[in-house]
Amino acid sequence: MKVQVVYATPGRQFWVHVEVQPGATVRDAVVRSDVLRQFPEIDLEQQKFGIFGKIATLDAPLDDGDRVEIYRALIADPKQVKQRGKATPAAT
Amino acid sequence: MLIAIGSLTVIGLALGGILGTAARLLAVKVDPLESDLQALLPGSQCGQCGYVGCAQAAKALAQGDAAVTLCPPGGKAVAEALARRLGVTVDLSTHVDRGPEYAAIDEALCIGCTRCIKECSVDGIVGATKQMHTILFEACHACGKCIPVCPTDAIKMHPVQVTLGTWHWPKPVAAH
Repeated sequence: MKVQVVYATPGRQFWVHVEVQPGATVRDAVVRSDVLRQFPEIDLEQQKFGIFGKIATLDAPLDDGDRVEIYRALIADPKQVKQRGKATPAAT
Repeated sequence: MLIAIGSLTVIGLALGGILGTAARLLAVKVDPLESDLQALLPGSQCGQCGYVGCAQAAKALAQGDAAVTLCPPGGKAVAEALARRLGVTVDLSTHVDRGPEYAAIDEALCIGCTRCIKECSVDGIVGATKQMHTILFEACHACGKCIPVCPTDAIKMHPVQVTLGTWHWPKPVAAH
């Protein structure tokens, strides 16, 4: 079955289709996609993974057509960023 | 043999007759003006005009509810074509073509709220709750729907830079 693997940084975006065995997991697709060689900074233990915007574990099974996404941590602290329609947080 | 030919001919004629009458009686009325206008629109269903899709925009144009300049991705050329088909004159001297654009997220402002992901009609945003969101510039078609929903104003449009890969020979200006 075919799945997509995507990893996006502001400068460079990696988005490929990979063929995996039925019953493959998120880890299988990521390993097969070559993304770990092209982006050595990806840490399988530290970074979160997901399928179409929903966080999933590395052992989650995949369905045909899924998009495996490799996420990066936020830079901003959500409590410190000024939000529209909300009062400015005390410490900015 | 003759019975087989005869019975099949009768069945064919009867079914053909039923289908023919049904097509007459149950025909969907299509306004020819509306379908012409829809053919002139880009057909990407981006929703930048404020209508759900190009068919709805064409309907509004045909009824005179919308201006011919409603289509941002179509630019000047589409506005001129629409005006010609509708037989109206339009002053496009102040119209500025924005050219192709894409949206990008300011990472210092993204709080991982996933609102833009739900809004994106082409699944062009990678991200999850409390994870960095990134717009795939290959997928983005610049509809701009993610901009108003962002609580921190982190999404901005950027013009697509002309590179060797994206440059194309400009179309000749057609004589009117």
